[in-house]
Amino acid sequence: MIDNIIYLMPIITILSGAILMMLLSMYNKYKTKHFIIISSIFITIALIFSILHFGELYRIKPFNDIFNNIIVFDTFANFFNIILLFGGLLVILIGEHYCKKYSYFKGEFYSILLFAIFGMMLLAHVNELISAYIALEIASFCVYILIGFDTSRSKRVEAIFKYLVLGSFIGAFFLLGIVLVYGATGTTNIDTITEIINQSNNYNTPLFYIGISLLVFTFLFKIAAFPFHSWVLDVYRGAPILVTAFMASVFKVAIFSFFLRAILSDFISLNTFWEDALIVLTILTLTFGSFLAITQNNVKRMLAGSSIVHTGYMMLGIIALGESIESAYSIMFYLIAYLLSSIGAFGLISHIIADTRKRSTYDDFKGLGQEKPYLAALMTIFMFSLAGIPSTIGFIAKFYVFTEAIISGYIFLAIFAIIATAISLYYYFKLVAVMYFYPSFASKKASKSKLGVSNFMISVVALLIIWGGIGSAIVFFIPIPSIDGILSVVELSIQSLFIK
Amino acid sequence: MYETNILSFIIFLPAIVSFILMICVKKSEDIRNIAFITTIIILILVLKIYINFEPTSKMQFVTNIPWISQYGINYYIGVDGFSLTILMLIAILIPTSYLFLWEGRTKGYWLNMLLIQTGVTGTLLALDTILFYFFWEIMLLPVFMLIGIYGTGNKVLSTIKVTIYTMTGSLFMFVAIIYIGINFYNEFGYWSFQYTSLMKVTILSHTEEYFLFFVFVGAFMIKIPLFPFHTWITSTYSNAPTGAVFLLSSIMAKLGIYAIVRFMIPIFPDICIEFADYFVFIGIFGLIYFGIAALMQNDIKKMFAYSSASHLSLIAAGIFSLNHFGMNGALYLIIAHAISTGGLFLLIGMLEYETKFKNITDLGGIAKKAPIFTFIFAIMLFANIGLPSTNGFVSELLIIFGIYKSNHLMGFAATLTVLIAASYMLWMFQRAILQDKTNNNILKIRDLNLKEIVAITPWIILIFIMGIYPEPFINKFEPTVTHFIDDFLNYGRIK
Repeated sequence: MIDNIIYLMPIITILSGAILMMLLSMYNKYKTKHFIIISSIFITIALIFSILHFGELYRIKPFNDIFNNIIVFDTFANFFNIILLFGGLLVILIGEHYCKKYSYFKGEFYSILLFAIFGMMLLAHVNELISAYIALEIASFCVYILIGFDTSRSKRVEAIFKYLVLGSFIGAFFLLGIVLVYGATGTTNIDTITEIINQSNNYNTPLFYIGISLLVFTFLFKIAAFPFHSWVLDVYRGAPILVTAFMASVFKVAIFSFFLRAILSDFISLNTFWEDALIVLTILTLTFGSFLAITQNNVKRMLAGSSIVHTGYMMLGIIALGESIESAYSIMFYLIAYLLSSIGAFGLISHIIADTRKRSTYDDFKGLGQEKPYLAALMTIFMFSLAGIPSTIGFIAKFYVFTEAIISGYIFLAIFAIIATAISLYYYFKLVAVMYFYPSFASKKASKSKLGVSNFMISVVALLIIWGGIGSAIVFFIPIPSIDGILSVVELSIQSLFIK
Repeated sequence: MYETNILSFIIFLPAIVSFILMICVKKSEDIRNIAFITTIIILILVLKIYINFEPTSKMQFVTNIPWISQYGINYYIGVDGFSLTILMLIAILIPTSYLFLWEGRTKGYWLNMLLIQTGVTGTLLALDTILFYFFWEIMLLPVFMLIGIYGTGNKVLSTIKVTIYTMTGSLFMFVAIIYIGINFYNEFGYWSFQYTSLMKVTILSHTEEYFLFFVFVGAFMIKIPLFPFHTWITSTYSNAPTGAVFLLSSIMAKLGIYAIVRFMIPIFPDICIEFADYFVFIGIFGLIYFGIAALMQNDIKKMFAYSSASHLSLIAAGIFSLNHFGMNGALYLIIAHAISTGGLFLLIGMLEYETKFKNITDLGGIAKKAPIFTFIFAIMLFANIGLPSTNGFVSELLIIFGIYKSNHLMGFAATLTVLIAASYMLWMFQRAILQDKTNNNILKIRDLNLKEIVAITPWIILIFIMGIYPEPFINKFEPTVTHFIDDFLNYGRIK
């Protein structure tokens, strides 16, 4: 009984942290600084609880008489918990500089952020469709609120309404999907659905397929794949940039955590049914993402467009899942790589915006290389990582995804993705070029940026990116764990899904 | 430990020094001095390798440790006769070029120069294809920065153009590498991306091999550049700063040729033989085409860009003649051309920096004002044309022999090289350096100072020694060439 509580501890910690901060935010004497400290302490505690089981292979269902197979605790969920918590911690700490400058970031902001992380962690654990819906909506509603936190600007209002309306609409799709699946199989528990699929080989009731398709739609919407991608630009642009960082990285990981579990443990045998459709959607996602990213004049919108392209790469991995389960490793590695790179990029922009209060067009970045050489160098690293240039983690991630896609025989998709990568070089290098090759508008002299928490954390992210790209082999005289370590952890977590 | 890691040390020392300098040192003079010392240390280490190197075709000073073990990617580096020659070249050329660039460069310039050295040395020594790709891509980034920050004219467009152009080529090569690697896995049941492993793949169909071959060669042709992938060179060479042009023309372009020999011949020997004639033709065509284009240029840097492309086409033709003469000659021309073109670009860089002019019609009367400059310029020029007693002569002779042996008609066409090179070079020399003009008073140029003369003297000595007594130099890489021809190509013929 008590043994099992330890597995629940990360979630409980985050939930209690969220509630505590909700109560504390009633008092005026607690400033933003305090909330940053409190929330990071809670996340760190939760991280420590999660890391306790790091590297173990387990799958248990604690308090099963209460939860009734709804929630599982396995290495897979634990792995995602660690990523989510780490990502959340990064967002809070990198945003420290930004939040201090803007008065509307009060205690509630951090409380809601923790509630969102709570919902996402729950999503990584759930093994049943209705609770998945609940967890997804907890996370989504928190994100809606976070987007609209500062309603004084019309862009924010536009973003929240766009996302809220479309998100609720797609939520209804999800519910309908659950209903249809329930109608076809008589259950909403993923394990039971698997059994039913496996028992009857020619299981092809239209009802079931329509239901699953609706669930897939939700997935595509949340990861911003074609044809559900058009909300991304406006929402990412309109949201406070810190929230954009949170959505682009952490929220995406959370979505993948549930759907990867679902795909891997049950629907892998059904993958052939959607294969053709997914191939077409991947090509369109890559095309439209590239097109959107290349035409933007605003860096935030460019990053939003490029996040669609990255979704396309991950969909490549999902298609390859039908052939070999190993491509799940590549997706998970890609998620880590993208999380680091995008948190770094968005976080750095937030840092710059906080100082200059500019919009974030390409022109605003002119001369950054001379004004703030340190930040410009870090931004260059993030851009290179997003573009998949060797010596960054983005390269290794692309290598995995492309390798898995080609092994599974999707050589033309891989070539298409390579073309998208070549296009992406343009819009990432453009930012680097703008930072270094043009004189500054303001003609300010090099001002030393103060050492702060957010500076420090951005540097940590950049170091992680470089470390992930080089690994331990090349710098063999420094004893640090290699990329192999990450991959074996990923492998372990996938294995835990199949423990009966 | 020391013996095995010496190559890694040579590769990574500049990058590590560069990072330390970036954080710790502010004054650009200090940075320059430390960077110079670093390159001298590397030169000493390379000399040590050169002396200890046994003249066989075997890989030496090998380091081979797992990097990403799930996919069998190894950190696999080593040196053989072929790469040793180019390694030596890099180690000598870079420090002396520093002496030419000595004054007036800022911090970022030197940091990027150091990073480039890591990139090119890594590319040269990598024997695992993924590791090769790794260095092949990152050696371009410092060049991107150098051109963009310190270039002139329409620098941003030209730097983005060259970066995206070459990177697109290499991205396709990346897919090709993965594709061969997967076929290796399917055939042998374990992962490996070493070129020695990829050679063994037999399950590729002929059509697949065609595609893969052309994707690989395309990436290398862009970098060299061979016709028709040369469109980036004029804007890049004319807008880039001297250091970047020097490195691009005398070292990076050679690495494209090197990569063809290192990876194409072992992995696709049969396709190489099948298409050899076409590539000799492309080479000869490029030679004439770029030569004529060079005649037409008024911008002196553009002229040298085309001249460089013309010679590189000849080198490629020599490689694809696939016999001893051609390949030895091509390797020899790699060194000879690197020295003479490198020297010329540095001198031109100085000329432009001092006079602020770069059009041939604007220049003139340099010979009176800077006699030593003119003298050295002339030597480099003659070596570039391939006058007897210079190293250019030996190498072009060997290449023409080689091409003649594989195809008589092409051999005749290849002899045109001397004629074309002589016409554009001498014409330019006459107009830009010798001839007195009315606007002479505007031109201000100092003569070479002692430091620069000291820097360039070893190059001049090398030009003549290599031109008069080539044997000891050829002996170092001859076994490797024999190994490549006898083992790989004969295997390809059987196949």
